[in-house]
Amino acid sequence: MGADVSVVAASESGCHLFGDGCGFEAPTVGSLFFPTPWVDFGLAGTSGLTKYYLVAVVALIVAASFWYFTTRRAKVVPGRGQSVAELLVGFLRDQVTRTTMGKEGDKYLPLMVTLFLFIFCMNVMGIIPGLQLPVTSNLAFPAVLALFIFILWNVVGIRRHGVGAHFKARLVPGGVPGWILPVVVPIEALSNFVIRPATHMIRLFATMFAGHLLLALFAAAGFYMFNPTSPMGPLFGAISVGYSGIALLGFLVFTAFELFIMAVQAYVFVLLSSIYLGEAMEGAH
Amino acid sequence: MSRTSAKNDERSSNANATALISYLLGGLAFWGAVGWAVDRALGFSGLFLPIGLGVGLVGSIYLIYAQYVRS
Repeated sequence: MGADVSVVAASESGCHLFGDGCGFEAPTVGSLFFPTPWVDFGLAGTSGLTKYYLVAVVALIVAASFWYFTTRRAKVVPGRGQSVAELLVGFLRDQVTRTTMGKEGDKYLPLMVTLFLFIFCMNVMGIIPGLQLPVTSNLAFPAVLALFIFILWNVVGIRRHGVGAHFKARLVPGGVPGWILPVVVPIEALSNFVIRPATHMIRLFATMFAGHLLLALFAAAGFYMFNPTSPMGPLFGAISVGYSGIALLGFLVFTAFELFIMAVQAYVFVLLSSIYLGEAMEGAH
Repeated sequence: MSRTSAKNDERSSNANATALISYLLGGLAFWGAVGWAVDRALGFSGLFLPIGLGVGLVGSIYLIYAQYVRS
């Protein structure tokens, strides 16, 4: 269920460096990313109600509360909270929607802002004590978001250019001689309709998954190496405390780095979404 | 190059990188699968699979050239 669980598991095993000989047990993918369901519906292919749902709801409440409390008394001269909200909206408008879709992209700004904050909140849950589970480290969550953008990409393209022109633009590459089309059309189709949405979701999922695993490893290693009362003597006890301190330092450094990655990945997801929508609006390439 | 256009280039290169990977994976996956299926259908082992992979790779590289280099 997170770094906390891996430390609990390590403490239950009672294994420490310079201890009674039992080795380090690294946190497993199963223990970290497949929490025991609180309610199991018994349906094949479903996970039941797990910690992911709780943390996703918390992320949703945090994101919604942010907008509620920063904009409920909006003024011409903004207060501190409203300034932060405006800064975020202005940043995403200038750096994402306007640069990829032009002024027309402004109508998608609310979507991009909401998406960014929701993904960032889901990501950041991985370093909130007590929760310690980035929701996006479960493939299902990025998959649904990427699927939504994929459907919207088609809807925007079809509404703008019509069914035939949209799919022609996505299947038949421009400037290619007719005789080579049988080879390249399937590649273009697979690339646009399967691989691109898949990489869109995997990018977010994989970075959050790997980052969480790394943090859990540092936490578990720090606990394993902390053995001040080593049976091998006070010297080894002191060395173990030093090693544990290095692991703790690594944990703190990587937590700060992970926070940066969480923001970057939310930004990249939104940026790619915006690029895809801009491309659908543009039509043939 | 202005600062804004440099940033835009950075963004489009991010999208282009994704597109290039999609093309390469798509070419190898589709034509590799066709080659494998032909192998299975005709009772060969490892004859059409490498041919399919080769066709996919050449097709992908041609698409990348046509879409991003020549244009």
